[in-house]
Amino acid sequence: MDFLSEFLSLFLSKLQSPTLGFLIGGMVVAALGSRLTIPDSIYKFIVFMLLIKVGLSGGIAIRNANLVEMLLPALFAVIIGISVVFIARYTLAQMPGVKTLDAIATGGLFGAVSGSTLAAGITLLEEQSIGYEAWSAALYPFMDIPALVTAIVLASIYAGKQKREKYRMNAEAIGKGEYSGMQPVAAGGYSSESSVPTGGYPNSDQRSAEGSFSGGTGGGAAGSSGGPADDRVKIWPIIKESLQGSALSALLLGLALGILTKPESVYESFFDPGFRGLLSILMLVMGMEAWARLGELRKVGQWYALYAVIAPLLHGSIGFGLGYIAHIVTGFSPGGVVLLSVIAASSSDISGPPTLRAGIPKANPSAYIGSSTAVGTPIALAVCIPFFIGLAQATMGGG
Amino acid sequence: MAKSANKLVIITEKMLLNKVAQIIDEAGATGYTVVDAGGKGSRNVRSAGQPSVSDTESNIKFEVLTESRDMAEKIADQAAAKFFNDYAGIAYICEAEVLYAHTFCGPDGC
Repeated sequence: MDFLSEFLSLFLSKLQSPTLGFLIGGMVVAALGSRLTIPDSIYKFIVFMLLIKVGLSGGIAIRNANLVEMLLPALFAVIIGISVVFIARYTLAQMPGVKTLDAIATGGLFGAVSGSTLAAGITLLEEQSIGYEAWSAALYPFMDIPALVTAIVLASIYAGKQKREKYRMNAEAIGKGEYSGMQPVAAGGYSSESSVPTGGYPNSDQRSAEGSFSGGTGGGAAGSSGGPADDRVKIWPIIKESLQGSALSALLLGLALGILTKPESVYESFFDPGFRGLLSILMLVMGMEAWARLGELRKVGQWYALYAVIAPLLHGSIGFGLGYIAHIVTGFSPGGVVLLSVIAASSSDISGPPTLRAGIPKANPSAYIGSSTAVGTPIALAVCIPFFIGLAQATMGGG
Repeated sequence: MAKSANKLVIITEKMLLNKVAQIIDEAGATGYTVVDAGGKGSRNVRSAGQPSVSDTESNIKFEVLTESRDMAEKIADQAAAKFFNDYAGIAYICEAEVLYAHTFCGPDGC
């Protein structure tokens, strides 16, 4: 009982931190219909600042760290990233009215990592003066990329299977390759038949897009041959695209600069002092964005909302469990365990959506971006971070 | 002298910027203009200017001048075939008369 009450009071005190206050403030302001906006470019700049700061501090720490310690948490991060997608594939996708491709994409987004959630987690840890390995931030790509790759590969395997069945059934109808039959997109929201081509536009695999065009109108039939060879996903382009995304680029640049150069002077005078203030503005934007997306989520159904509430907690708990193993085996610090769970609980908001949109074009972006931005991220920020900090303090001591 | 031409307009998602540009280039167009776009269509309101977390919410508008209608149609067909099943997109052709354009009209002017 002592354990529970101590844990609850720790949990409640975390809810009063400025980070979360700004998040809730943003939601309230948006709910009241305020015209307050924060320009897009500022938002992007703040994300860049935060991630480069996280990268720099990580890089500086890596210089005098024993990297062997990082192996186990990094392996766990990869495992979590991959399993999150499979969890979505075998839970969310089984719900009535949920399309498998949408569910896989949602899983991919929840498996991927949010830089802003990571930054918020770091800030809260520092506020509580809980020690953590600064290289924990470098676990980000180890979870982010496997999750996105797994989601896109799973989706293309699934879509390929669907495609072959469809073609077997009405090969001649598709063979016409004519435009006029195709109108499903025009219906209200997003095309509802999203996993199955309704004839008309040739449905060549998006991944092979970089290569050849199927040549004009007549190319329609040629592009839709749909053999197994067409369905193979190239993994390297997905990894490349993730690495080129703004969030990961900034983080990796920071890491590289931290390791190779001596950025301490700029870091201490500029990046570090501004960190918390910028983060609070970012939280305001996230709150406003979350509110704006709620309506979109309402349209795609309650299963996504339910998933988006449970998933961050579940994924975070998996992260916490694996992190705890690392804590026992290699002495991974409690703060590091918290960061691993926060990374697991977070769902990508900047780099993930475009990668998924390009990689799984048939999935409905309202479903996965809506569940992530409107519900998943606020839950991860407002519930998961304080929850796992509290849990770490209760189980492993203040560290 | 004005030279008659076809103006092809493609409005689509911002994340397709490079891919559509590639189609236009490969079709042999001499150039194109891109602007940020917003509005309402079959895929709900996609407005410009609202803060968005990623480019998945923004639209762009391509304008391409082509000498032959065939080239414009070829570009539109390829873009539609590759993307418009899964992404927001619309394409239309207008008649245009080009008054001044260095490359498009040739060195002697229009």
